[in-house]
Amino acid sequence: MIKITNLEKFYRTEEVETIALNKLSMEVKKGEFVAIMGPSGCGKSTLLNILGLLDDPDAGSYLFNDIEVADFNERKRADLRKHNIGFVFQSFNLIDELTVFENVELPLIYTGVAAADRVKKVEAVLDKMQIMHRRNHYPQQLSGGQQQRVAIARAVVNTPKIILADEPTGNLDSSNGNDVMELLTDLNEQGTTIIMVTHSEHDARYSHRIIRLLDGQTVVENIMI
Amino acid sequence: MIKNYIKIAWRNLLKSKLYSFVNILGLTIGLTIGMLILLWVQDEMSFDTFHSKVNTIYRVNGVTGSGQGIKIWDNAQGPVATTALREIPGVRNAVRISHGWNSIYTYKDKLLKEENTGYTDPSFFVMFDFRLIKGSKTKPFPTDQSVIITESTAKRYFGDDEPVGKVIQQDHETNFTVSGVIADFPDNSSIKFDMLFPINIIARQYNASNFWKSLDTDWGNYGYSTFFDIKPGTSLQQVCDHLINAQKKVAPWIKVSPGNGYRLQPMSDIHFYQADGSSGSLQTVKTFLIVGIITLLIACINYVNLSTARAMLRAKEVSIRKIIGAQRRQLFAQFIIESVVFFCVSLFLAFGLLYILMPYYNDVSGKHLQLDMLNADLWKVVAVTFVGTLAISSIYPSLLLSSFEPLKALKGKLTMGIGQAAFRKILVTTQFVFSVTLIIVTVVIGKQLKFIREKDPGYDRSQVFSFRTGQLGEHLDAVKAKLKSVPGIRAVTSSDNKLVDNGRATGGVDWDGKPTDMMFIMHHFGIDENFMPVMNIKLKAGKNFSGSKADATHFILNETAIAMTGIKDPIGKRFKYQETEGTIIGVVKDFNAASFKQNIDPAVIYYQPYGYKLYIKTTGKDAAQAIAACKQLWDKYNSGFPFEYRFMDEEYDALYKTDQRSGVLFNIFSAVAIVISCLGLFGLATYTAQIMMKEIGIRKVLGASVGGIIALVSKDFLKLVVLAIVIASPIAWWAINKWLEEFVFRIDVGSSVFLISGAIAIGIAVLTISFQTIRAATANPVKSLRSE
Ligand SMILES: Nc1ncnc2c1ncn2[C@@H]1O[C@H](COP(=O)(O)OP(=O)(O)OP(=O)(O)O)[C@@H](O)[C@H]1O
Ligand SMILES: [Mg+2]
Repeated sequence: MIKITNLEKFYRTEEVETIALNKLSMEVKKGEFVAIMGPSGCGKSTLLNILGLLDDPDAGSYLFNDIEVADFNERKRADLRKHNIGFVFQSFNLIDELTVFENVELPLIYTGVAAADRVKKVEAVLDKMQIMHRRNHYPQQLSGGQQQRVAIARAVVNTPKIILADEPTGNLDSSNGNDVMELLTDLNEQGTTIIMVTHSEHDARYSHRIIRLLDGQTVVENIMI
Repeated sequence: MIKNYIKIAWRNLLKSKLYSFVNILGLTIGLTIGMLILLWVQDEMSFDTFHSKVNTIYRVNGVTGSGQGIKIWDNAQGPVATTALREIPGVRNAVRISHGWNSIYTYKDKLLKEENTGYTDPSFFVMFDFRLIKGSKTKPFPTDQSVIITESTAKRYFGDDEPVGKVIQQDHETNFTVSGVIADFPDNSSIKFDMLFPINIIARQYNASNFWKSLDTDWGNYGYSTFFDIKPGTSLQQVCDHLINAQKKVAPWIKVSPGNGYRLQPMSDIHFYQADGSSGSLQTVKTFLIVGIITLLIACINYVNLSTARAMLRAKEVSIRKIIGAQRRQLFAQFIIESVVFFCVSLFLAFGLLYILMPYYNDVSGKHLQLDMLNADLWKVVAVTFVGTLAISSIYPSLLLSSFEPLKALKGKLTMGIGQAAFRKILVTTQFVFSVTLIIVTVVIGKQLKFIREKDPGYDRSQVFSFRTGQLGEHLDAVKAKLKSVPGIRAVTSSDNKLVDNGRATGGVDWDGKPTDMMFIMHHFGIDENFMPVMNIKLKAGKNFSGSKADATHFILNETAIAMTGIKDPIGKRFKYQETEGTIIGVVKDFNAASFKQNIDPAVIYYQPYGYKLYIKTTGKDAAQAIAACKQLWDKYNSGFPFEYRFMDEEYDALYKTDQRSGVLFNIFSAVAIVISCLGLFGLATYTAQIMMKEIGIRKVLGASVGGIIALVSKDFLKLVVLAIVIASPIAWWAINKWLEEFVFRIDVGSSVFLISGAIAIGIAVLTISFQTIRAATANPVKSLRSE
């Protein structure tokens, strides 16, 4: 599903040039649940953003479903993104001005789903995330765990082929964190490919495979049994 | 999707109350004033355009005099129309209009004075598109005793009764039968009358023993507004040439200087340009159009400024939307729609404001504008204003907002780049350039209007009122003697011409050494021996009339006349006025018989003890008694006619009424424009204070004083205001000189005006900013640090 080869990413500021990804190669198969780990600043988020088509690499190849996307322009990336990829962030990133329902509905609007279908889909996914009773609340009125469930609901409402999660439990206590991990596991079992960045070995154990990064390079790959 | 956008826009509007309030208030005021001004401009532009033949109708302007004394009249002589119709192929139709005298009219127990009557040719009703409701277009005046009246005139006399066929009596002697009713003349018509009489009445006053035998051969009297309907393609020059040649043939004794003759002025121009080509109301229309656009621009700049300042706070929302899959053009559309929502709310409020203000506005502007929601013209103005301002205000912020890069914005790394800050600074400066310019221009206009109102016109008009003598004229000596003894009356004098706004002039003058082909136009006054002392008109040389027989051939000239005629040592020199040969006995200092917009014209003063206008100088406090005494005498000799008098002060103020009016409007518009700028500044200061909250907190913890903090926050803004003053000064300098050109007598614009205006601008700016800065500076630092 995803295959990157010799991917490079530099950040240039006035004084220094940081190599965030250094000739990184890896592959993720359809239906896999992969965890990415590594010390702070090793390039995990950078990698995830490139995989999620939010950012473009400086060199190397990125095949998404066998299509070369490394040189896509912003419009094409946005198009591919909204149909295939869902995001979950550490800081939830819900829109404060929208209700729970509207936040979840948003991706459907952007992909042009008809209004009646939208209601059905949103209600189904809110149900599944057990936050249906909060549908008309605003994000500030929810706990962190609830907000993250809304964020996951929003990520999956469009039934994306892949979900990218950047430290999804980072702002949660362990009980809420476990709930989130269960949800991701469920989604994975239903066929969604998941790539998750985490600092927690405990969370990483939910995955099939751990990719460890150091200074923008893969060091180890652990296969979970 | 659009519903979603509107919903969010609405929530945003409700959420940031201060932001929305400032923005909507600015927009509402801007739109209101912009629309008011544009409606006014539209009304002005529509003058005379309702005539279907407006593009082929021309007014004939006669040109007389020579050299410096050349005069272009807005009318022509009687034969011009008839000659053209008879002899010039391209002239399809011609109409003459002459103003009537003020008369009183009676019907049953009604007695009304009519001041706006005219004589005209029957073709009037065919050439122009004034709607004849009753009567015949082709034969409007069945007899010379016919009259056509407007609808509202008919109402005044006959109420709801059928007007046609009714007989009204003029001045208790002549009967006229109403032969038709014409719709009231539109406000935007240059031609306006209440009653129209057949021009034959004037023609009948000629007889074969007069010098001029008939109206159609009288090439001497420029008394008829003359309009031609000319076939397209006709050479206008040939029409004019033909006319002057016809005059030369019929009246060869009239001197024709080079340049004399006729000019054809398109009907569509006559409201905007005077006959001599100087601007009529065009200047005011242009000025207001500019002020209107500036007001709208200021409102737009406000909007742009505030929404870009707020963009930072919305960066996160934009990023999330992008990550979820929004495309740039979708976000662009969203922000445009947000602007549309803001504008719609403002427009709605503006309509309310417009509705409330309209009566006052009409009062100040002297118009009769209406908020007729079914009127397409109103919607044209609304649409132009709305779409124009919306486009200017929404595009840049929407582009900016939709261009945020999602990753940076999410990480909070998005700082308003130096470029955007600079852009906002440019906008604020531009806004203040407008404001400062308006302040300077307002100050200068105020000063100039005060100057002309208070400038000594060369005569003393205080406590003087005047009235027409009517039948009193038959007993004038006795009347004057009697009035002089009335307590409260200081002096009595008479003249045969108005002193304030004297429009009459003659070419019938001669002196030794006058070039033979020169046509010299002069004002003329006939006065008694008391006139000059009463009005305090000063003699420069020679003496005043003494009241003796010899005065019949004595003339007094003004300084300008002496200078322009070039008569050396004028006292005792020969001078001829009309048919009277005489000598110059005196020279008066120039006095202004018109407004200070014009040059003082040459004037000849002759002795006329029986002028039709009586001037009474009162003691001031007993003026009422003086008026009562005059009325008593009037009623004795003019029974059945109302007694009407006017103080010269009123007449004098009327000279500048339109200028005063424009002045007031200009003051209001500038004030509003400045208020809107301040709203913008206020909004920006609020944001700056918010953004600098943490910095201010840290500085205070480190020991900065409140004053120091205020200076820190205000400094940047004040720099911009000072820069604006520097830029605005030359622009304002140019604008006021342009405006002052209209006045012959004008104030000197010194640097003080600029200094004062600059100080005002800085004062206003400081006041506006200080609200926020003081609050920020006095806030508890612990609190502001925690909230970061
Ligand atoms: N916009 C940027 N400009 C400059 N350098 C950047 C930028 N973003 C990331 N970097 C640098 O690139 C490197 C990789 O950063 P990245 O955010 O991918 O790390 P990370 O592995 O996600 O760290 P953490 O676990 O702390 O989130 C770091 O050295 C960081 O300083
Ligand atoms: Mg990271």
